[in-house]
Amino acid sequence: MGAIGYLYRRLWANWLKRALHKPITYVYMVFIAFYLSVVPISLSTVAEQFKINSPEGMTLVLTVLAFWVVPANLVAYAKRKGLIYRNSDVHFLFPAPVSPKRVLLYANIKTLFLQVLINLFVVVCGVIMFRVEIWRLGLYAVFSLVVENVMEGCLMLLLYGSERLKEKHRKWIVAAVYGLIGILVVIGFWYYLQRGLNGAMAAAFLSSDAVKMVPVVGWYISVLHLLFGKMTTVSIVGAVLYFCLLAVVVTAALRMKCTGAFYEDAAKFAEDYEEVLANQRQGGTKMRIGKKEKFGKASVKWKGTGAKAIFYRQLLEYKKKRYFIFDVNTLFALIAGIVLAWLYVREGSFKDIGDYIIPMVSAYITFIFTTLNGKWAKELKSPYTYMIPDSAFNKLVNATGIQLIQALINGLLITVPGAVVMGMPPVTAALCVIACALFSANKLYALAVAEIAVGGTLGTMGKQLFQLFIQGFVISGTVLGAVLGNMMGGTTLAYGMMALVLLVFTGAFMVIATLNFYKMEI
Amino acid sequence: MLEIMNLSKKYGKTLAVDGVGFTVPDGRIGILLGPNGAGKSTVIKSIAGLLRYQGNIRIQGIDSRETEAKKCFAYVPEIPNMYEALTVREHIEFVRRAYAADITEEEIRQLLEKFEMEDKQDKLGNELSKGMMQKVSICCALAIKPKVILLDEPMVGLDPAAIKELKEVVLELRSQGCTVLISTHMLEMVKELWDVTFVMDKGHILGTYVKEDLANEDLEELFFKVTGQEEQKETVEQEAER
Repeated sequence: MGAIGYLYRRLWANWLKRALHKPITYVYMVFIAFYLSVVPISLSTVAEQFKINSPEGMTLVLTVLAFWVVPANLVAYAKRKGLIYRNSDVHFLFPAPVSPKRVLLYANIKTLFLQVLINLFVVVCGVIMFRVEIWRLGLYAVFSLVVENVMEGCLMLLLYGSERLKEKHRKWIVAAVYGLIGILVVIGFWYYLQRGLNGAMAAAFLSSDAVKMVPVVGWYISVLHLLFGKMTTVSIVGAVLYFCLLAVVVTAALRMKCTGAFYEDAAKFAEDYEEVLANQRQGGTKMRIGKKEKFGKASVKWKGTGAKAIFYRQLLEYKKKRYFIFDVNTLFALIAGIVLAWLYVREGSFKDIGDYIIPMVSAYITFIFTTLNGKWAKELKSPYTYMIPDSAFNKLVNATGIQLIQALINGLLITVPGAVVMGMPPVTAALCVIACALFSANKLYALAVAEIAVGGTLGTMGKQLFQLFIQGFVISGTVLGAVLGNMMGGTTLAYGMMALVLLVFTGAFMVIATLNFYKMEI
Repeated sequence: MLEIMNLSKKYGKTLAVDGVGFTVPDGRIGILLGPNGAGKSTVIKSIAGLLRYQGNIRIQGIDSRETEAKKCFAYVPEIPNMYEALTVREHIEFVRRAYAADITEEEIRQLLEKFEMEDKQDKLGNELSKGMMQKVSICCALAIKPKVILLDEPMVGLDPAAIKELKEVVLELRSQGCTVLISTHMLEMVKELWDVTFVMDKGHILGTYVKEDLANEDLEELFFKVTGQEEQKETVEQEAER
């Protein structure tokens, strides 16, 4: 077995061994099995509703996916992106006497496991949702697992590994791919002008001969039509062109000279990728690889001593940021507030749930964005936090202070537009703002509670599941409080009860969360 | 033998290394010196094949990008990066296979013993301290039985025993005819090792100095004299005395 084969075997075996020792792995397996069995069944109802529960329907869905996946992959490879290398590869693999082409395939094959899973999922969906004959699905499985991967692998070698392509050539390729997307958009627009915007137009566009003739993407779609649809001349021509292209790229990839000039870009990617991973491990939200965050100049007037230094340091950092303390959550709150107000004006009311729609949406938004740790989690990683001569509670309050202000602003943004158009009494509106802010504050401290309770044993995902569980418990309690309040004294008392329940839980979480700031080791 | 000929490297419009050339013959220890930003890392990464460059780099007379050249070349980077899910022993096994190295089980055991890693063989990459990672990195490089070895700040993070061991290993490699190039700021650590020193600054080689020609000159003094940092150093020393 070669060095790369050995590397794969050991990495997978050790990863599996380690995963099987963690209880959370079995929880994930149950979740994945549940989703893999439930999703195709529930999606089959959707397919029936949209009348795409046929082999032709499967072709349409796969065509939409092809519009997105094929150009995205081509652009990524032309930009020397889309392959994940780690710093360990730069250290051990790049200087080794291993063919650079194999080093490229090594990274490409890393994504194969996920691709195989997706393809198998598509096959299952083909049986349950689209009622495709087994022999056709068998052919599709062979095509997607073998032919498609050979095509993608060779295109990747040619675009990523080529040493003939200069920077300007790479830009031309990217422009050409965007050109292909442009052609598809023009065809779609033409269909829209001819037939208007409806389901039949979309189906006609996706299975049109013009789309099948678009190079690369369209030829791939032609093969799909041959597999699942009727045999037409254009589909046959498109499929023949696809296999001709396959022969050309395989030959070119085999003959191409590659001495490892891409190592420089791959090493840079590895460095940036590790930086993003390290940032996320520390509770950061950095998602874009290779993009350095820009900071402006700012100053703060430091007040007080002890743990207050944490608050003012965070304030200084936020002031240096482009959008200060406002982030994606602020944007969501603003959009949700405006949409709620607009819907109320358009519909006239929200029927039975009208009085409580704002906290319901707020709770939903808070609940689904649970992975954002924010700055306080970073404080826990710094030894200086523990060395500051102040109480653990003061450290917690100051470390989370700015996020509490963010929560209040988000509460205002989501509440005010709706409250104004709904004519909500000021006291009720104020209680609504408090309830919305407390939802966010509660999430914040629920994370801190999860950190202290299971952070050291269940890992990141386990921590998030635990946090979701306790947050779900709090939301249930809040709903109960609102129901009781509504029964006893109407909407304002219901909001009061909501705020009270949230306040009690948030206060309790806050006390537990303080334990995080006593010592660095949990 | 390691030959660097007219090496130039640009990052965008910035010329990091400009026409650098030097040679380290077989069985000699070369030291690459230079202040921060001199271009040492660029030279090292170019030799290791991690950068695109202009010029020529030859290892044992072969273009460094050729597989045959890579087979006899070992590299110890400044910051070791382990595979998180590979054990110490598996790292060495991977290197043995990648380089088709003829190291025996007994030699691997001796190597690990030398760097006090025998009892850490089954530890995973993410369970190692920085110093241990550096030791693994050195062990992997030595497992290749290289003819040319490049060590970038190899002593950083090592305990005194490991530093002593590494110095002995370097001298042993020299006696076996291996070419050694060390890039370091720790001049004290290499003063008894070096045969030839290359002083770099601002992307150029300022001077090449052979030990035999500089009988009484201290490496540190030489460095400050060549880079023009002597006055700076004197000022710091005077202030310290005050």
